[in-house]
Amino acid sequence: MPEDLRTIRKRKGMSVNQMASRSGISIATLIQYEKGEREIPPNDLRRLAKVLYIDEWDINPRSSPPSPPPPRKERPDRPPRPQKKPPQEKKPPPKSPPARETQIAHLLTIAARFDIDRAALEAEIGKPLDELTQKEGRFWNGHFMRRMAEEQPPKSPIDRKRAYLPEGVDGFELAYLQEQQEAGAPLHFTLFDGQTFEGAVVGFSPYQITIREPGGDEITLNKLAIAYYRKAGGIR
Amino acid sequence: MSLGDELRYLRAFHGGGNLREIEEEIGLKPGTLRYMEQRYRRVGEDDEVLASIAAYYDVPLGTLQYHRERYRKALSAYLQQGLESGATARFELRTGETLTGRVRWWDLGALGLEPEGGGALTVVQRHAVLDWAGTMTNDQSEGG
Repeated sequence: MPEDLRTIRKRKGMSVNQMASRSGISIATLIQYEKGEREIPPNDLRRLAKVLYIDEWDINPRSSPPSPPPPRKERPDRPPRPQKKPPQEKKPPPKSPPARETQIAHLLTIAARFDIDRAALEAEIGKPLDELTQKEGRFWNGHFMRRMAEEQPPKSPIDRKRAYLPEGVDGFELAYLQEQQEAGAPLHFTLFDGQTFEGAVVGFSPYQITIREPGGDEITLNKLAIAYYRKAGGIR
Repeated sequence: MSLGDELRYLRAFHGGGNLREIEEEIGLKPGTLRYMEQRYRRVGEDDEVLASIAAYYDVPLGTLQYHRERYRKALSAYLQQGLESGATARFELRTGETLTGRVRWWDLGALGLEPEGGGALTVVQRHAVLDWAGTMTNDQSEGG
């Protein structure tokens, strides 16, 4: 009984990407096959069967369209939440102890940076420094520290530039191959051993390129075996 | 071609053996060959180690020393320089051919070379590049 491509692929634990690279069929095409948007032609059926280690007739050439996701289950009614306890009467906050000497000394030091002396500082705070509490001391120290931070020249952004590493990707070559595949342009390949092949790209992965020769034969070239390639008829 | 590429090529040529087994057979510290095969920077400074690897693969020590100078980062630097300056670059390939042209792009596995005097862009696989004009010896600021 033939099964849908997606069902078989899932059972084999293979990703679409892996199937694409092994079969030489593009990911977009495979997705169309799996969704049943396109019938799998006999040629591709053979390749997919080979990749999946099954017989061609085990694959349904026209997959059934994916079923819509099941409706979300209604959540069973929750038991009513217990009512919150009525807020208890808040105790008045404990009175802050008087400011430490070090707090006042620090405050005077940073105020001096803004040319503010003790009298001016007391005027700004609204009370003599001796009557300042620890909480107020923290507040005013924080206030002047923030002022200092604001008035300092902004730090220059880090000037270190990360090196551009095209080695981290192989995007340029894959983009070139994609372009050639879409154009259907035949490419001429020269291998390490001097052999040459010519054909239009029908699929590729980071490690292989599959081409269709003018005679209709498809060949998968291992990129490690390729020395270089160019558009067929290109002049060196 | 870098020393790493050459060592991988030699390993494949000699039956594609397991790295650990080859290291054991040569008497190298585990991981030495793996390190040399995978690094982008210049590796293989110890000539004694290189000599033992050369003896195992039955190649002259000079061959491995030659590839040591042509590490991948040096090729990257040359390609980047060519890309930015638009100057004509020259590549000797393992096939015995020499290609010249302007570097249009380069990445992990290949480089796009616009031939001198026009013509179709040639995509050269980096592992096929044996040597290039103006081998650079200074290390660049790349990672790897």
